[in-house]
Amino acid sequence: MRNHLRELRAQRRWSQADLAERVGVSRQAVNALETDKHDPSLGLAYRIAAAFELPVEAVFENPHAAAGEQRQVGGE
Amino acid sequence: MFKLDPPHRRYALRTWGFMGVYMALNLAAMFGVFDRLQGQPGAWVLALAISAPIAGQLWATLGLMADSDEFVRALTARRFILASGLAMGLFSTWGFAESYAGAPHAPGWLIYPLFWGAFCLVSPLVRSTR
Repeated sequence: MRNHLRELRAQRRWSQADLAERVGVSRQAVNALETDKHDPSLGLAYRIAAAFELPVEAVFENPHAAAGEQRQVGGE
Repeated sequence: MFKLDPPHRRYALRTWGFMGVYMALNLAAMFGVFDRLQGQPGAWVLALAISAPIAGQLWATLGLMADSDEFVRALTARRFILASGLAMGLFSTWGFAESYAGAPHAPGWLIYPLFWGAFCLVSPLVRSTR
């Protein structure tokens, strides 16, 4: 799942270990998220968004957003 | 210096403990310490005692997964499943080769070292949970 973790972290000058500690996971988990090797659970996505004080979709791109819009248009 | 996080430190300690018992009992058997038990009912106890650390190792792995975050948990599960499948596949193939192709007999306990060999092989290759 595409995300903006690296940029958001850089803006706040947080290391991967800093973010990991704030959300209660390992540094490896943060690295895996940044390198697209792991899709976060809903709970972890919310914890990360809360750490950045942003809504979830400002941190993680919703890969189904376009499909949802198409379904809405098609249903009208 | 490389430092392990607490779940991995516990896992490493438990692994060393269980593998130590497993190796010690096997070495003792290889050097004939249990030879007088051959064919006796006590040999069943010996077989169970040598196999017990394998159950312990499974418990240690489940403990690592329970204590770790979701990424480590998913990664360990994926590696474990792939290594199990590889070991079962290879050993079953050999078993059928014994039955049908006259391959030399391989004792059943080889499945455990085969599994860990497969685990060591797949771990560096499996770095994604997807």
